[in-house]
Amino acid sequence: MAAVATGRWLRFRCKLWLTLMGQRAGPCGQAPSCRFYSGSATIPKVEGTNITGIEEVVIPKKKTWDKVAVLQALASTVNRDATAAPYAFQDDPFLIPTSSVESRSFLLAKKSGENAAKFIINSHPKYFQKDIAEPHIPCLMPEYFEPQIEDISEAALRERIKLKKVKASVDMFDQLLQAGTAISLETSNSLLDLLCYYGDKEPSTDYHFQQSEKSEELEEAAEENNKKSEKADHQFGVTWRTKNNAERIFALMPEKNSHSYCTMIRGMVKHRAPARALNLYTELLNNRLHADVYTFNALIEATALSVSEKLEDKWNNILELLKQMAAQKVKPNLQTFNTILKCLQRFHTFGRLPALQTFREMKAIGIEPSLATYHYIIQLFYHHENPSKGSSLIIYDIMNELTGQKFSPKDPDDDMFFQSAMKACSFLRDLELAYQVHGLLNTGDNWKFIGPDHRRNFYYSKFFSLVCLMEQIDVTLKWYKDLIPSVFFPRSQTLIDLLQALDVANRLEVIPQIWKDSKEYGHTFHNVLKEEILMLMARDKHSPELQVAFADCAADIKSTYESQDGRQTAPEWPANSLNYVAVLFLRAGRTQEAWKMLGLFKKHNKIPGNELLNEFMDSAKASNSPAQAIEIVKLASAFSLPICESLTQRVMADFAINQEQKEALGNLTSLTSDSDTDSDSDINEGK
Amino acid sequence: HPAVVPSGLLLGRRCRGQGREGTLAWVGGHAESRPLSAPRTGLLGVRVGKGDKSVTYEEAHGPRYIAHHKGRLSLHTGNLYGEDHAAEQMVEDVFLQKFMLGTFPVCLSDPRILKRRAHQLEVSALVLRQLPAHKFHLLVGYSETLLSPCYKRPVCLHLQTVPSKVVGSLYK
Repeated sequence: MAAVATGRWLRFRCKLWLTLMGQRAGPCGQAPSCRFYSGSATIPKVEGTNITGIEEVVIPKKKTWDKVAVLQALASTVNRDATAAPYAFQDDPFLIPTSSVESRSFLLAKKSGENAAKFIINSHPKYFQKDIAEPHIPCLMPEYFEPQIEDISEAALRERIKLKKVKASVDMFDQLLQAGTAISLETSNSLLDLLCYYGDKEPSTDYHFQQSEKSEELEEAAEENNKKSEKADHQFGVTWRTKNNAERIFALMPEKNSHSYCTMIRGMVKHRAPARALNLYTELLNNRLHADVYTFNALIEATALSVSEKLEDKWNNILELLKQMAAQKVKPNLQTFNTILKCLQRFHTFGRLPALQTFREMKAIGIEPSLATYHYIIQLFYHHENPSKGSSLIIYDIMNELTGQKFSPKDPDDDMFFQSAMKACSFLRDLELAYQVHGLLNTGDNWKFIGPDHRRNFYYSKFFSLVCLMEQIDVTLKWYKDLIPSVFFPRSQTLIDLLQALDVANRLEVIPQIWKDSKEYGHTFHNVLKEEILMLMARDKHSPELQVAFADCAADIKSTYESQDGRQTAPEWPANSLNYVAVLFLRAGRTQEAWKMLGLFKKHNKIPGNELLNEFMDSAKASNSPAQAIEIVKLASAFSLPICESLTQRVMADFAINQEQKEALGNLTSLTSDSDTDSDSDINEGK
Repeated sequence: HPAVVPSGLLLGRRCRGQGREGTLAWVGGHAESRPLSAPRTGLLGVRVGKGDKSVTYEEAHGPRYIAHHKGRLSLHTGNLYGEDHAAEQMVEDVFLQKFMLGTFPVCLSDPRILKRRAHQLEVSALVLRQLPAHKFHLLVGYSETLLSPCYKRPVCLHLQTVPSKVVGSLYK
């Protein structure tokens, strides 16, 4: 990705250079006299020639540049700095986040500081009134949130609606009705708009933050709940109480036009009361009014939301609605088709054919599909896939069509495209396709569609795992340096994938570096990762320098285990880790520490492995100390390991031990053999 | 005159308790706040002592070293020929210094450096690592958003953290 960008930059630079050279000189070697020529390099210049053969000078059309054109040109020469943290954070090692949890908490902290400051400014606006900026900067002036007009009038009602105060405007409306004032249809409609949009609740301050998260959860919940039947309406997210203020005011209005009905229908659908919305729609038809395209979109969604109907019936209802829409001469827009596809997405396999039909219809009418359209199609075909059956190839067609296109935001769900595309790539295990998707992300301004933090993390995790799986190790490491940590923080699964890729490519010397990085990204106390690292290091013997590096890394991991012990009450050294660490110490020649490890086995009540004991025996032989050898045998017998026998024999054979040591050994073995013979005799007796 | 040991006056940029905060004296672009009645010891830098006081580089050099060994605390073009608003900018500087001192209670004794670039105000500060990092971000977001409508210009905060007060020279 970085290579492509550099290539683009080089080409841009070469083009600049060439145009400059073309303007400044004729063919090389001759004196430039561009004053007399219009820049054509083919006319040869001869000294003293009469300059009569000049062609007509063509003055190019004046270009109008954007105000920020220079900045944009400069920005296009700079690539993303892979070593920098996102600019929202302060550029200081202490203040740069090291994990995705931290980055989210820092951004939230910054935002809450901003909210606190805004609260102060808006509570005391009189201190911030002095306007010394020329021209006026509206966003730096305090905002007014309290209604100014105090008397009971329609203007006051309109002001409260503008300030989005739900309860205050309803109260004002009631007061006006009691006073007997007639309220115009416009104002009543705008009041209905306010109530239906916010569902009769006050808009909360972090409305927009919560809105998208809640709607996603509701989506997933609704999908699961479509399988069950009755209670879906009441369990999840029905926020439209019957007889709430909106309905009451709607009933009180003396005259209603189509706008009123449309607003009510859209509000009901937004707050999950689809049945009432459909009823209201029939009422609208009875009053011989027309609905607009947005209302039809809401109705389509309502049809899909209504439960206890079969999928074919729902699809037929949607088709009915579309026919009515055509009869009322309402032109569908992009949202219509996207809503249809969103509903079809919930129908899973049944919805595939209708989805393709819808897509073709959309193209036939001439509506340009947005990223959300493709997202729904991908979800339909790849979401609940069974790998044993064949997968559809539709994503290849989609990517072929989309390559090189630049998108602008048209639908709120546009930012889910890249996540679902990468999920499908990862499912299909196709690296070329993933590169294509990534190329699309880097075209023009499409990077804006990557979505919020968790979606970006998901996308890059899947992408990097696929790269680890399928790409050569050098390219993988380049991606690693490029993406981590400036773009996303790796989860432990990603790091384990990377380790396995290193294992396959036999580049285990990078492992200590990976461990250092993992500590930075907050995986210090992640046991699975540490075991994986230790296992890979301890599996085979390597060259001496590498062993030393591995031993240092193992010592580091050991210290993390120890600090972890200090914090928890129940110590948690896995047996495998103890084995691996001891082996690594032995192989690097750090015998002192290795012997201390043996003590730890006893302390944590874990059993050392057979190969470990053999290696200890080898090292004891190398250092020619029979005392150590006997230590090992004592340890083995303390754990009552079956290997004790062979160890004893080996000690007898290889070492020069004196008589008392032999007796001690004999005692040990007799103990163990006694228990063996006892058990043998038991078995014999049992037979 | 009573011999006033300047160890309290050393950090004279802080106000010194109730009722004794005097007028501001500006020496060479740096603010020092102390009662006018006290003898002005330590005005031209820190008195030479036995070498047991640790001072920062800024404090060790007196005002005579400005533009020789030290830079200025506030950088703006208001004092050039033909430019105006020097006085308003000085008042803004004073306010900003005190504001930062109050908002970040763990600021170093080093004053903040204020730079005015085009329309933007940049405040650079050295802070100790006394608070957890997310609290720093909260204070940064708060200060930037509060000061921008105050001065009707974008205010930008650049923090640099150090583990402890950076000692410039130990000879004082």
